[in-house]
Amino acid sequence: MGSKYLLRPLRVLSGPGICPRIAGSARMQYHSPLTSRSITTETPSAGSNFTDTVSSTLFDSSPTTPTVLTTIYDFPTMEPLEFAEYPSNHLHLPLRRDILHKAVVYEGDMTRQGTASTKWRDDVHGSGRKLYPQKGTGRARAGDKKSPIRRGGGVAFGPKPRDFSTELPRKIYDLAWRTALSYRYRRGELLVVADGADIEYPKTRFVKQIFEKNHWGNADGRSLVVTESFRTNLFRALRHAGEEGRVLTTDQVDVKDLLELGRVIIERSALDSILREHQSDLLGGIRSVVAQQ
Amino acid sequence: MPPRLNPLGLGSLLRPASKPLSSLFAPIVPQQPQRAASILSSLSDNTGAYNKRIRRGRGPSSGKGKTSGRGHKGQKQHGKVPAGFNGGQTPNEVVHGPRGFDNQFSVEMSPLNIDRLQSWIDQGRLDPSKPITMKELNESRCLHGVKDGVKLLARGAEGMRTPVNIVVSRASAPAIAAIEAAGGTVISRFYTKPAIRRILHGQADATITAPNSFPALSSDPSKPFAYRLPDPTSRKDIEYYRDPAHRGYLNHLVKEGEGPSLFFKSPAMINKDRAKAAGTGANAKSKSENKLW
Repeated sequence: MGSKYLLRPLRVLSGPGICPRIAGSARMQYHSPLTSRSITTETPSAGSNFTDTVSSTLFDSSPTTPTVLTTIYDFPTMEPLEFAEYPSNHLHLPLRRDILHKAVVYEGDMTRQGTASTKWRDDVHGSGRKLYPQKGTGRARAGDKKSPIRRGGGVAFGPKPRDFSTELPRKIYDLAWRTALSYRYRRGELLVVADGADIEYPKTRFVKQIFEKNHWGNADGRSLVVTESFRTNLFRALRHAGEEGRVLTTDQVDVKDLLELGRVIIERSALDSILREHQSDLLGGIRSVVAQQ
Repeated sequence: MPPRLNPLGLGSLLRPASKPLSSLFAPIVPQQPQRAASILSSLSDNTGAYNKRIRRGRGPSSGKGKTSGRGHKGQKQHGKVPAGFNGGQTPNEVVHGPRGFDNQFSVEMSPLNIDRLQSWIDQGRLDPSKPITMKELNESRCLHGVKDGVKLLARGAEGMRTPVNIVVSRASAPAIAAIEAAGGTVISRFYTKPAIRRILHGQADATITAPNSFPALSSDPSKPFAYRLPDPTSRKDIEYYRDPAHRGYLNHLVKEGEGPSLFFKSPAMINKDRAKAAGTGANAKSKSENKLW
């Protein structure tokens, strides 16, 4: 089961020199993902799918916009297929810990359920009658039986359901998304894979072997897989392999997820849609309803 | 006796040989798996972004030590004084009671002046070949939100030169004249606050009004709108939108020879009423003749 993937020698794409186009160009330095897989001395087979071409991305980058390159891999063999160009203000932003902090706190606040609820002394069922006269009983003075200091009384200033969500300007949040992806990219922890990432069988055992061979598993800091849509086999297999990593679709993932685990394995279309969704600070300019040609 | 080899010395002999070897392979030797330390634990906002919490009553060196900033003696030191308490005098809110009133029936129209409309068209932010509704105006930021509706006003009316089809809540007479002089049309339509919200969210169409059509019509039949727009129910609104002078969308309901007022009676109706009144008078007479007492 799955031996096709596991027995095939995995080639390593070493950083500099793999692409002659990059070596002398004025592009920003090419960062290859950290490859901690086993090395084989085998030369690339003739039937390899790898093309030395750079495919342009969705984003129209003018010649003046600096770009960075990333490798598109096959999933799960991690065979390099091609290069893709991304604007450096998408994947090569400087690390801003304050922006990331704001985004993570904002998400955390937003996620809080806020449903904790207790009965205050007014909410407890019962009478407001004075228990016994103020004076003359020899006992400590007392009001009603719902007082917080009595057994069966209300909770003094206990929690009530409320909304914990805070606000963050959209442009800052979008910048945080791209900063998080850039941080991963610069550390070589952003592995972009071709669309349609799935595995052959919905078996946890199988996905664990894939993670182990690719050095994505628990020993290597776990991995987050992001796909554009639900993939039955991958999601079912990883559902019970939480100790190895997580898998999320694009609409489930947030900034904290991107920063949490050892690396992010992301489908190209998922990466594109995240970047497209989170570029409000770049668009700016004049808002218009006239259709763009 | 052979000279004894110092194991440390041996090590030092061998080290120079092994060192270049390792450095030679450094670029391609798989890196040891890094300790998976997430960046999440080291995120924080900039130090200047936060104010340190003042810790009151924590000793003289804190500056808020002895009296914790509450001064000496009295109710203010020990608890709180009721808001508006004037030291036993008549409280403020009684002496200076509420003035004025809140008119629940007033509407706040977002003003749209013709010079701004023309400027937006000139900048290419509004498309004059398509109907201009509050949705287009809001999205192009010609209006920054719509309150209770849009009223078209005539500032800069002499500069209007582009023919436009515009749908608004109300329009001033000079504004209507200016738009129509440029070859355009004005329609004023009734909008409620929920309707405005739905239009701005793309859940309803600002222009189409087809009675009893469900689902609501849309320019794209495959994606019908979820909501239809309500029509006015109050006399004042009905009369406004029946009025051809306002270019009201209900002016087709006004029959030939009638006015927009709901109390308007045509001469024919008045004659009919008179005849009816005369008839009832005759009946009343016969009735009174048949009366016993």
